[in-house]
Amino acid sequence: MLKWIGALDRILKGEVTRLSALRSGTIDVPAGGLSVVVLMLGIIYGVCMGVFAVVGRWKTPHVRMGFEQLAASAVKVPSLFFLTLLITFPSLYVFNALVGSRLSFKTVLRLLIAVLGVMLAVLASFGTIIVFFSVCTTSYPFMLVLNVIMFSISGLLGLGFLLQTLHRLSMAQELNLRPQPISAPPAPVVTVPSAPAVAGPAEKSAADPAAPQAPPAAAPSNPAPLPLPNPRPSGGALDWLDDQAVSRNVRLVFRLWLILFAIVGAQMGWVLRPFIGNPALPFTLFRPRQSNFFEAVYRALHHLFS
Amino acid sequence: MKTLILRADGLLRGSSPAIALPTRRRHLLLILAIFGGAYGAAMGTFSGLAGGHWLQIIYSALKVPLLLAATFVLSLPSFFVLNTILGVRADFGEALRALIAGQAALTVVLCAFAPITLLWYASSSDYDQAILFNALMFGGASFAGQQVLRRLYRPLVKRHPRHRQLLIVWLMIYAFVGIQMGWVLRPFVGNPDAAPQFLRAEMWGNAYVVVIKRAAAALR
Repeated sequence: MLKWIGALDRILKGEVTRLSALRSGTIDVPAGGLSVVVLMLGIIYGVCMGVFAVVGRWKTPHVRMGFEQLAASAVKVPSLFFLTLLITFPSLYVFNALVGSRLSFKTVLRLLIAVLGVMLAVLASFGTIIVFFSVCTTSYPFMLVLNVIMFSISGLLGLGFLLQTLHRLSMAQELNLRPQPISAPPAPVVTVPSAPAVAGPAEKSAADPAAPQAPPAAAPSNPAPLPLPNPRPSGGALDWLDDQAVSRNVRLVFRLWLILFAIVGAQMGWVLRPFIGNPALPFTLFRPRQSNFFEAVYRALHHLFS
Repeated sequence: MKTLILRADGLLRGSSPAIALPTRRRHLLLILAIFGGAYGAAMGTFSGLAGGHWLQIIYSALKVPLLLAATFVLSLPSFFVLNTILGVRADFGEALRALIAGQAALTVVLCAFAPITLLWYASSSDYDQAILFNALMFGGASFAGQQVLRRLYRPLVKRHPRHRQLLIVWLMIYAFVGIQMGWVLRPFVGNPDAAPQFLRAEMWGNAYVVVIKRAAAALR
């Protein structure tokens, strides 16, 4: 167990997704063990979420319903993430194969579990705040909106991590495929995250954990690490451009897929509701099929502001 | 006691070499408890001593450090994970010390405001005004605490610019939790018409919902 938590820690620190670590073409994380950690974190956050239902019914005859809701939430939060993964995994794999990226089935799966790890680590860390507000709040819409915000923050960070790692994976593979320039020693390639030529300005996103390790002064004094050798007179330049075009395609497809993931996740949350449990309603495992997530959030906001 | 005051003085001046010693963390917590408690005691004198109202002084003296500490503890996990994800986990120990030092500085400044608060109490017996005045003092002290925090964060920001964003994130989380914590831990000043209580459990609620509802009602 501790080893698996250590694996999650390495992911969060960005050690796993350093370019040097990715050069083998896969992510070195124990998928099974990491899933267990993700499950635990999901349960923790689910319990935190369910506290509101218990507190709202405390010292009433319905307190049992509150505990039922708490148990249901503890099951539902991890299910939400794993089911979303299950639904979006085939499309990610197919898209990934379609755009010519060379990631294997296993790598994509590991990558997505790592993404879940990032999302749930962030989410679970908000647990303390959720419990605190649950204990002293009676407003159901407020809790709803607060939880949506927490989920959105963790989702955005997780997807940022996904995008960054996908980009690095394809970069690592391109580096592997391209013949090594003789002048550049192998070691400096480790610092490639600072290579603006490949990354482009858009990639300087927030979720770029490895980049800062090298002191900034090192870059100008040592231009060698840039993996972009002068294009060879015959064909080299064209190769490079091709590579770049592919990576741009890949990026576009993955961005579109991220939107898909977010929508599926939101709607999955809607299907699995109630997570928090309106204290005015009796406990049910699921609610009838109606409406959708976005309408409900809008209504909660409206209710809060009126 | 004297060393404590000297340390508090050093904290405000920032003269000591960047609170490098690990033992400093304990001293910072001590400063936080004593100076925060001192202001809390001053805060609780509003309803006087008669009729068991002296209890409010003790309650408030306990509650001010509790307010800061509980907010800090609740906000810390998410800040830790965010630091890790953004790749500056190695600096977390130093960041933590800076955050605690910022809070300790806040209490020192708050404590310095205590005589002003007492003067205000002596000159006005309006409960609402007393609350407002205390809010003002807390605002001023938070501002001063932030200056200390920002100064201690400067070397971190220099090492990695991302710390600047993280500091903003911290202040956002901390304010979000802290406002609600202050609301839950009421009463701090103590209504002279009511018996002193540690917590007003029946008046718990959500500060944000109250504000939103009042704003909505005012706009209608």
